[in-house]
Amino acid sequence: MARSPTTSDVFNAIAEVHRREILDALMAGEKAVGTIVADLSLSQPQVSKHLRVLSEVGLVKCRAQGRHRLYTLEPARLRPLHEWLSRYEQTWNERLDRIDDYLNELQKRGEQQ
Amino acid sequence: MTPDRHRSARIEFPNELEILITREFDAPIALVFEVLTKPEHVSKWGATPPDRMTKCTIDLRAGGAYHHVFVTEDGTECSFRGTYLEIEPPIRTMKTWRFDGWPDAEAVETMHLHETDGVTTLTMRLAFRDKAGRDHMTRFDGQQDSFDAMEDILTSLLDPTGMPPT
Repeated sequence: MARSPTTSDVFNAIAEVHRREILDALMAGEKAVGTIVADLSLSQPQVSKHLRVLSEVGLVKCRAQGRHRLYTLEPARLRPLHEWLSRYEQTWNERLDRIDDYLNELQKRGEQQ
Repeated sequence: MTPDRHRSARIEFPNELEILITREFDAPIALVFEVLTKPEHVSKWGATPPDRMTKCTIDLRAGGAYHHVFVTEDGTECSFRGTYLEIEPPIRTMKTWRFDGWPDAEAVETMHLHETDGVTTLTMRLAFRDKAGRDHMTRFDGQQDSFDAMEDILTSLLDPTGMPPT
């Protein structure tokens, strides 16, 4: 199966640890590129590259103010990820609950003997 | 009063190749280990009805093989297999994992148990050999069909004994 390009896939876009850190940094609100660079101790070209990927999948929005470029988070784009994780978590919880119930049953049976 | 641990699994993605799942059970470590590694137990909790587990073999020793076969309600069969790499009862097992439908995605699953005051914590770490394997799980192109298919396979992939798609 071919990999989805990073630029069209929210999952792959956030698979990179520095891009997740950039999203975290933007949780506090709109920030200029320079501020993100200072926050994360990454180089300016690195941050710009990651911001480009994040804006191509729509996770961040950019606006110009004077000579600064300001970035904000677009949390709505994280929704598919959130929904996927919720369903995934639900499935896992059901599996583990089955083990839990079975363990309880075994222990009850053991106490009765 | 025993705390209700239902729906209490923690799921983390510590890096691009790994998935980490943690859950506590109110049972001693030896029993949890048995329930997770003996076919007579696994066959009891392994399949979620209406799915059925039709085969469950576990040769619990380093180099030993396991094979689990499930049949879904519509008769679709799926199969999971692999080899145990390390066994350290009742603390740890490490095994390879392969799903018949995904021949290119091999993972190594490490199961770790730890008991404190009668509560056993299960940690499962699923590590893909390469990013292509992990990408099976993170691929998302916005299409509902592939989204659902991915989720089904994911469900199967992450189960300690190999679950069928539901």
